[in-house]
Amino acid sequence: MIRTETASLTYWDHGRAIKACDQISLAIRKDEFVGILGPSGSGKSSLLYLLSGLKDPTAGVVFYDEQPYAQRPPDERAAIRLNAFGFVFQQPFLIGFLTALENVMCANGSRHEHRARKLLESLGLQDKMNRLPSDLSGGEKQRVCIARALLHEPKVVFADEPTASLDHETGTQVVEMLVRNRNGALVMVTHDESMLTQADRVLRIHEGRLQESS
Amino acid sequence: MIAIIMLAVVLIAGIVAIIDSIPLSVQKVYGYSRFLTGVTPRGDMSYFPTILRHFEKSPVPIERRIICRTSIFNVNTIVGPWPFVLHGINPNDFDYLSNKLRLGRLDGRQPISGRGEAVITKPIAKNLRLHLGSIMLSPHDEKNYSLTPVVVVGIYDSDQWFAYTSYEYLVQTHFPPVDVAIYFAKDQQTQRRLDAWADKTLAGTKANVYTYPKVERDTAESLAVLFRILDLVVGLLVVVITIMMCMLVNIYLSQRIVEFGLLQAIGISRKRLVTRTVAEAAWMILTGWIVGSAVTAAVLTLIRNVLMNPKGYYIDPLDPLAYVYTIPVPAAVLITSIAIVLIKFAKFDPIAVIERRIV
Repeated sequence: MIRTETASLTYWDHGRAIKACDQISLAIRKDEFVGILGPSGSGKSSLLYLLSGLKDPTAGVVFYDEQPYAQRPPDERAAIRLNAFGFVFQQPFLIGFLTALENVMCANGSRHEHRARKLLESLGLQDKMNRLPSDLSGGEKQRVCIARALLHEPKVVFADEPTASLDHETGTQVVEMLVRNRNGALVMVTHDESMLTQADRVLRIHEGRLQESS
Repeated sequence: MIAIIMLAVVLIAGIVAIIDSIPLSVQKVYGYSRFLTGVTPRGDMSYFPTILRHFEKSPVPIERRIICRTSIFNVNTIVGPWPFVLHGINPNDFDYLSNKLRLGRLDGRQPISGRGEAVITKPIAKNLRLHLGSIMLSPHDEKNYSLTPVVVVGIYDSDQWFAYTSYEYLVQTHFPPVDVAIYFAKDQQTQRRLDAWADKTLAGTKANVYTYPKVERDTAESLAVLFRILDLVVGLLVVVITIMMCMLVNIYLSQRIVEFGLLQAIGISRKRLVTRTVAEAAWMILTGWIVGSAVTAAVLTLIRNVLMNPKGYYIDPLDPLAYVYTIPVPAAVLITSIAIVLIKFAKFDPIAVIERRIV
């Protein structure tokens, strides 16, 4: 479904080249849970951006449904992210003036309201649907983000350190919810190996290079 | 943002409506002249018969001619005293004149020939705070002087501004002894033709022609400089407000940068975000303009009812010119807002938001 061929991503910092991803080749299959594990600054988030089409590789190719992202116009790439992917980021980004329920529907519209309510209920937020983000705890915000990512039943959910700002217990619950509620593949980046106990595959990355997979 | 546009609209429309009340007052105060064409000799009183002969050959049908005398008194306006004509009319012309000028019902009576008596209309009574029995002109009044006191004996219930005494009284007490010929046509269209013909025929002669189009023309010419200054002031206001709004729009967009970054990252296209943001800005600007216009109309109505009307002053709360002058504000703000949105989004990287590099 998603495939990279010797994809590299190089940043330039004051004239110095920094290889965030270095010739990475991998494939994400339908419905599998892939963990990407590595220390801070190892390039795991950059790899997630490449896989989701948020960034273009500076060398190599990234395919989605066997067509390179680079060959697709920006609107089509946005449409893929909107319709086929779901995102959970490290920070629970929510729109401050929208309620939890409205935040869940902010990208895909109110036609999914019934499912949005169901998701929030299954994530334990049945009493907090009409609260603003400022009235929610960090864990609750992240659960709202999960509901938003799962609302349209995406083919792939990309989760970038979704537990980083949470305590271990809440983080474990969040991962559990992601795994339980997904309908497609899950690609999760983390530096905490204990969050990947349910992963089908774990890819380790160090200094931009894939080290091993298990 | 809405409040600033609203205040700008109130400020500009208020200033324009007040300035535009001057020509409006001219049209109202001297509005009676649209029913007549007046002619006097100038420099040579013996030219009067020649004027009358000219009009006998008029190709435009004349309904009636009235020979009268005139004197001047002052009415009050927001820009100070304005001269107004006290006509000296022969008693046998009273009824025709009141019908022609649509003066309506007369409260009181007509002036007796040769006596210091005058008939006025309601707006003049209101403006000068006169009522039946009031002294309108007096030998002790510097602004409204007459050799003997002139008492108000009749007030017409009409919106028209008009005042007259008897011809005989002005002959006896007022200088210079110049007659005025007033010509009436059967309707307004014919009156304008008569105005044009008189203006053309008597141009360059020893005759002064008074017509309503001339009043309008003279007013427009005398206020032209004022309106140029107004253009400049409004132009400067638009620039200042637009700069202020640019800064506000910039702050507004910066405050929502996380929202835009998030939405773009999760798949809302840049085009859709730009369209949505521009639509939001347009909605706010339009709301500000509509609310500002409504507030202006309400404030001007209050000013008209409380300050202007009781003194017989004029202001139009729905003056189209006032609202036309405000259009550059929302237009300039909208154009610059669109430009700012386009510039912001052209360089916008949602990853920078997700990675918290720019928030």
